[in-house]
Amino acid sequence: MATRQPIASGRVGIGLRLPHVSEIAATRPELGFLEVHAENYMVETPALDRLLELRRDHPVSLHGVALSLGSAEALDRDHLLRFSALVERVEPALVSEHLAWAAIGGAYLNDLLPLPYTEASLELFCRHVDEAQEALGRRLLIENPSSYFRYRHSTIPEAEFLTEVAVRTGCGILCDVNNIYVSASNFGFEPLAYLEALPIAAIGEIHLAGHHAAEDVDVLIDHHGSRVAKPVWELYAAALRRFGPVPTLVEWDTNLPALEVLLDEARHAEELVDVQRCVDAP
Amino acid sequence: MCSDVSMLLELQMRLRRAILGGDSGEIVAAIQGDGLDPAARVGIYRHHAFATLGDALQSTFPVLCRLVDKRFFAYAAHEYLREHPPHARCLAEYGADFADFLANFTPCEQLPYLADIARFEWALNIAATVREVTALQAEALAAIPPGEAAYVALRLQPSLTYLASPWPIDAIWQANQENEVPPIDLARGGTSLQIRRAGEAVAWRRLDPGTFAFRTALADGLVLAAAMSAATLKDLAFDLTEALQQVFADGLAVGFVISPAQENRQ
Repeated sequence: MATRQPIASGRVGIGLRLPHVSEIAATRPELGFLEVHAENYMVETPALDRLLELRRDHPVSLHGVALSLGSAEALDRDHLLRFSALVERVEPALVSEHLAWAAIGGAYLNDLLPLPYTEASLELFCRHVDEAQEALGRRLLIENPSSYFRYRHSTIPEAEFLTEVAVRTGCGILCDVNNIYVSASNFGFEPLAYLEALPIAAIGEIHLAGHHAAEDVDVLIDHHGSRVAKPVWELYAAALRRFGPVPTLVEWDTNLPALEVLLDEARHAEELVDVQRCVDAP
Repeated sequence: MCSDVSMLLELQMRLRRAILGGDSGEIVAAIQGDGLDPAARVGIYRHHAFATLGDALQSTFPVLCRLVDKRFFAYAAHEYLREHPPHARCLAEYGADFADFLANFTPCEQLPYLADIARFEWALNIAATVREVTALQAEALAAIPPGEAAYVALRLQPSLTYLASPWPIDAIWQANQENEVPPIDLARGGTSLQIRRAGEAVAWRRLDPGTFAFRTALADGLVLAAAMSAATLKDLAFDLTEALQQVFADGLAVGFVISPAQENRQ
């Protein structure tokens, strides 16, 4: 059994999608790490064997999408146990989940649904993060979601809410700069101010992805199906200035292109990390 | 604080109903417009949920989708999703009762074999997502006293499904792997299939009526004596010794128990 491989400072990884697996195994491209959706590997498909092989050469990050930490009911213990078993098997460098909810009353809606940001939801969310970290035996990174609506009764700004979760539970933060950009555009807030409200020490990973404009309404959609947009690259550069060389992931989940396109995006991200290193060098 | 959590629960149940039921009336008052109709904002989440869950069903039931065309499949999937949203968090495990839903879905009445195609694709999905475990060797039964052998119930590989249909579902499925689907004679009759994991692949084969009845009975947990009776009803010449040897040779058995009925028999 190989032991856990850490991700080197400032390295960039890509989301591992099935159509790219054999090419990655054959060509072993220079990659900081591979990230997978945990739920895709909780069944015994050959893809799990491929992942266990690839993890010998690449650090792996497990990204959960269905733990539903924001649900106003008990966490799904069965799912938490399966997640925990996968963590034990894969020994990932990073484990992450979302500031969101996805299931209620026995129905899993397969979406990252928004929470109202109130003192009550903060307490509930922190309790669930504590429970998950305890069950997984690992520190979680919690990702800021992209949102398409806000609740009228929210009283706490999202960045402040996320910061408080990190303070109370000791979890880290996965800062998705595309999500910040999308939400900022949808609600008219300043994305740089959001970045500046996040605590530097808690940032454990950055996500980059593509978005597009909805066809029928004036809303940006985080679809993970295109190259990273120019203003998101600019926001990423600002994030590197603030947070330093944090491991970064290029996500691409729909309209999957050739592997080379993802590698090209990853190279561009590494160039920005290098530029920031030069600026920071004494 | 307790009432705050119950208020949050009520809010989440309302959003769930708005997404699955299609009516945002209960939730819009809680949502800030931010320059847009709140119902349109909820619609973005609804669209995402139905699109991604529909895609998940399509990837589990690709031949079914091809048989009815994408638009009809999306419609059937939509109706199914509303009534049977997933419970499990792994999308590969969603769709266990899609076949039963289709069997009672009026718009599918003209295609009576659809539900069995769905059952077949679900069995393929089970085989693709469940690993086989170490098979039991026939010698393991040697220590059982002869008088108790008839009361042994075998446990079979967890990836196995036995499926019988009055339609040639395997031929329909196979034909739909081609770009140009060759004609299928639906009148050629039904089929009795064993579907299982084979290494990293999925394999199925047709079984004769006696073997199918025997193995189905074993899979249902029946003791050897009862499984033999079931097989003999289908095939008077059924040979238990040979059938049992074949079960072990095929690596189907993974364990056994002596039925409690045997202990009570004394």
